[in-house]
Amino acid sequence: MSQLPGLGIVKGMAVTLRHFFEPKATIRYPEVAATITPKFRGRLQLLYDEWGTLKCETCFQCAQACPIECIDMGGTDTKGRYHVHWGAPETYGERRDESALRRSGRTVPDPAYTHFEMPDDLAAVDAILDEHDRDPARMLAILEATQARYGYLPVAALKRISHATGAWYAMIYGTASYYRHLRFEAPEAVEQAAAIADHRPSEEAFVAALDAALRRPGRA
Amino acid sequence: MTEILPTPTTWPSILLGDAADGSGRPGRADEAPPFAALRQAIAGHGPIGTIGAVVASGLRGRGGGGYPTGEKWRAAAAMDASRRYVVANGYGADPAVTTDRTLMERRPAAVVEGAAIAAFAIGASEAIIAVRAEATAAIAALEAAIAAGEAAGRLGPDAIAPGRDLIVRVRTVQGAYMLGEETVLLKALEGRRGQPEQRPPHPTERGLFGAPTVVQNVQTLAALPWIFRHGPEAFAATGAPHSPGTILVQVRGPERTGIAEVPLGTRLGDIVDLGGAVAAGHRLKAILVGGPSGGILPTDALDTPYDFGPLREAGAHVGSGSVIAVDDRACVVDLARLLTRFCADEACGKTIPCRIGTRRLTEIGDRVVGGLPRPTDLQLLADLSHDMVESALCDHERLTTLPYMSGMRYFRAEIDDHVLRSSCPAGVCHPLAVTAAVGAQ
Repeated sequence: MSQLPGLGIVKGMAVTLRHFFEPKATIRYPEVAATITPKFRGRLQLLYDEWGTLKCETCFQCAQACPIECIDMGGTDTKGRYHVHWGAPETYGERRDESALRRSGRTVPDPAYTHFEMPDDLAAVDAILDEHDRDPARMLAILEATQARYGYLPVAALKRISHATGAWYAMIYGTASYYRHLRFEAPEAVEQAAAIADHRPSEEAFVAALDAALRRPGRA
Repeated sequence: MTEILPTPTTWPSILLGDAADGSGRPGRADEAPPFAALRQAIAGHGPIGTIGAVVASGLRGRGGGGYPTGEKWRAAAAMDASRRYVVANGYGADPAVTTDRTLMERRPAAVVEGAAIAAFAIGASEAIIAVRAEATAAIAALEAAIAAGEAAGRLGPDAIAPGRDLIVRVRTVQGAYMLGEETVLLKALEGRRGQPEQRPPHPTERGLFGAPTVVQNVQTLAALPWIFRHGPEAFAATGAPHSPGTILVQVRGPERTGIAEVPLGTRLGDIVDLGGAVAAGHRLKAILVGGPSGGILPTDALDTPYDFGPLREAGAHVGSGSVIAVDDRACVVDLARLLTRFCADEACGKTIPCRIGTRRLTEIGDRVVGGLPRPTDLQLLADLSHDMVESALCDHERLTTLPYMSGMRYFRAEIDDHVLRSSCPAGVCHPLAVTAAVGAQ
């Protein structure tokens, strides 16, 4: 049967036509859920807001939910910090064009990758991991100790932590990007090193602004 | 260290105890031997009796929500689980408020003992006190209190009975305003990204590491030793009928800023008076109650009792325990915009109503203050706030609407001046003054 020429096309067209003539209706999600075939993976789409900037906030929620860890991203988060994440460049919204070049076979200079390739001395990370039993539940303590050792969280160290604890890289990265005192670049590499040295920039600014709004001289 | 404001001597001193000026106050925390209340709970009451005593005392959570503590414990104790946790929330998210930190510095033993009593009552073997990493004095005080308890054999392995541990430990957290929210704090303690969780299931069913967890503010726990020493009836007799006891309030007044221990149900005006009188030539215009997501109440509301329910009805909330006197030099719109912007900056970004909604609220405020409001802005503000409250995941987004909503409710005339007449009565919003000057020519 399978040798019959054209049968595959007929089968394929049958599926196409069946979907074509299916009743189309807008369902009332979430009250009614659509039937989704097991292999359906949806389509990744990065949206832009009305000013043309990406709406993606690099929160890594999608990457954490992805069952096969295919989502990765880079960009600026809500606190104005720049993150680049190791991963398939095709999924970087801002680097689509370079990726197209790469797929066409041409080499693309890629400064974003270079500092990931730097050989970090990871013996210190291993010592920190051993000290914390390689327990993913103690991730914040591990990350804080790593930052205390290196001054920031090198990507190589995060990969090592991911490997040793068994926690997904995206999980670790998402955790680290949330807390204001954790950083991904050495303080000198960041423009406002002084602002970052202070762990509570927005809190201090808020109290100062509150005093200003109340027309009070200084903080009591 | 933050100043403790002198309060009327008829107010009970349950939390700060002898740290405040003390003598002669009703129900002043006396120099009872440390961990006597814990021993009494273990030997005298047993777990069920301990929960019963807390229910009888009517103690409500001081973290802002005012949920009955006994009910929470009962729910956690009723769960079928092999592990349970008690988490004491001492983060103190509001940057302008240091009540929790001051309490932990001055009465660390009460906090530790309260956490141990809670752990014993619900059948947990571990209590975690979460403290802001910068609060080094509080951490040191708590560690010392725990060490003293362990040396006395009241805490540590096999402290309740052979095979029944009672471990209290201090964990430091830092780096996000949202850590004040209970599910966010639990996520941080689990070493994960701090974003709130859908409830139910409440933490009492599935909390830290999936185990039933009781999360209490440190002020709630610090009241427990007093309750066991003086009896639940004595506690229920203090404060307001439905919310007995006292709460720490940080007053930012025109003359003084400091912390006061206030019985719940106290007239709001009496609390404002602790901060001193408004400078000559000015008048009290509003009271900001509840911290960054607090409500801006008018002077008519000075008779409101400082209590969970009445404040919520008035359009504010207990929140971080901050009470700020606002005189007529401040502009309500400017103030609400500042508060909303802080809340928007600190939003964790998990849900769209919060992430986008708070930002849109801020933008509306920017437009009004900047002199370029749209005619539809006030309606948009009301609709957006309503939608955010209705679709909220956690209290952060629900309460972020309060500064604007209370402003619209009580200071509509001032907002209308901004929107319709492009003038700022307080003379704060500078671009408006320019607009007005150009318009007058």
